[in-house]
Amino acid sequence: MAVIGIESSAHTFGVGIVDNGKVLANEKEMYRIGTTGMIPNEVAEFHVGNAGQVIKRAILKAGLRMGDITGVGYTRGPGMGPCLQVGQLSAKMLAKRMRVKIAPVNHGVGHIEAARIFSGLRDPVALYVSGGNSQILKISEKPFRHYRVLGETFDIGIGNMLDSFAREIKLNPAWGSTVDKVAKGGRYVQLPYNVKGMDFSFTGLATKAATLAKEHSKEDICFSLEETAFSMLCETAERALLLTNSNELCVCGGVAQSVRLREMLGIMAREHGARFGFCANEFNADNGAMIALVAERMLRNGYSVPLARCDIEQRYRVDSAVVFP
Amino acid sequence: MMVSEGAEAKIYSKKIFGKELLVKARESKGYRVPQLDRSIRRWRTKNEAKIMRTLYSAGIPIPRIMALGEFSIFMERLDGRLMKDFDFKANEAEESGRILARMHGLGIVHGDFTPANIISDHGKISVIDFGLSEFSKADEERALDLLLMKRAISPLMYKRFAKGYASEFKDQKAVFRRLAEIETRGRYQTRTLL
Repeated sequence: MAVIGIESSAHTFGVGIVDNGKVLANEKEMYRIGTTGMIPNEVAEFHVGNAGQVIKRAILKAGLRMGDITGVGYTRGPGMGPCLQVGQLSAKMLAKRMRVKIAPVNHGVGHIEAARIFSGLRDPVALYVSGGNSQILKISEKPFRHYRVLGETFDIGIGNMLDSFAREIKLNPAWGSTVDKVAKGGRYVQLPYNVKGMDFSFTGLATKAATLAKEHSKEDICFSLEETAFSMLCETAERALLLTNSNELCVCGGVAQSVRLREMLGIMAREHGARFGFCANEFNADNGAMIALVAERMLRNGYSVPLARCDIEQRYRVDSAVVFP
Repeated sequence: MMVSEGAEAKIYSKKIFGKELLVKARESKGYRVPQLDRSIRRWRTKNEAKIMRTLYSAGIPIPRIMALGEFSIFMERLDGRLMKDFDFKANEAEESGRILARMHGLGIVHGDFTPANIISDHGKISVIDFGLSEFSKADEERALDLLLMKRAISPLMYKRFAKGYASEFKDQKAVFRRLAEIETRGRYQTRTLL
């Protein structure tokens, strides 16, 4: 069974093809932001311009023909409405033309499952960190099989916090790993540390860091901001690990590409004798393969949705999605 | 001898001057930069000690602090059993509610008010673990203390617990209102206690 997955919740239009859990293709086009961040309609237009050729490229790369596709998956949410619609429409057209089943996928479940499956873990505590998301989760069977949120950010996702801080102190490009690169060689300056049980918040930290940036070097502030924010994530993940009695931990999402964050989590996991895993960067960045991976499991378990009911949901919570083994 | 291990502290049992004491030690975490590591551990030890002293001198049944280090608190060891290992009796639930209400009245929220942190010595209730406690008079924080308990015990026992709480706390109405509001929020719909 070859399942094609389409991801378009934010800046990436991604198409992946998966056959029995094996990734045959994972193609993408990424909208390049300037100094403004993302304007949903402009990003959606970019996706419209790229959808056709990325789909073709993925099928070619997989060495398949259109007729070989046996199922379709797409990102139902969460994400920006206009962007999600492009993926939804492309997926529906594919499913209709090929007369195959279609499965709507939760974006967060895609990231977690990719990390879990590719790192060979069974039932880990998952730290999901990206632009808009920062959560700690674990599978719960009740009332249905889903990723239960054990802890999460009270305000903004860690990626968006780092990016908006970078813009604030006029770093260019203020995007993705910018803060991480500048942080190299900095010294620690005290910043507010905000953890409450397994939850945490980032806005106070970012505001203080921006204020202190006037008196300290950019290197020092970036280093301290990153160390403080990552320590908050490590501590809450550690609490989740102990409270759930788990011996497996994984990290996923765009920010999981940070080498330093992975190092810290690895040290923490080792202190508790827990296995720690993550997947390759191409699956931590937004991509279509993770959507295909989850869609394949849904379809294999007989779960699909009639075309007319394939919708999008901008605030599709990760804990409301059914997860199939 | 280590008695228990939490995410941020370990509890040891130690005999000092012939007396059995518990030591709550906030140990260094290898993943943190040293300055941040020390400042977190120092601040939390100080904060917890301050809260425990405030509660103890107000007559709330909690362990007494015997000595204080930079990163560790030496306290008396209480007799009794943890409520999480046994079923609550109605009078124990009610008494727990009254104690929480008195803490809230002192401007302190517990932060982790569950049966794992309540001790009963033949019906005499004490509260432990103030690692997540804060000085706060916010209805939100107070309601979260109640919510944790509500998720952890049976509806019948919670009723008695709430009764005890209400009998001892004059600002209880606002707290129960906030609790009802919190429970309608999306993130708490599927979030249950472990």
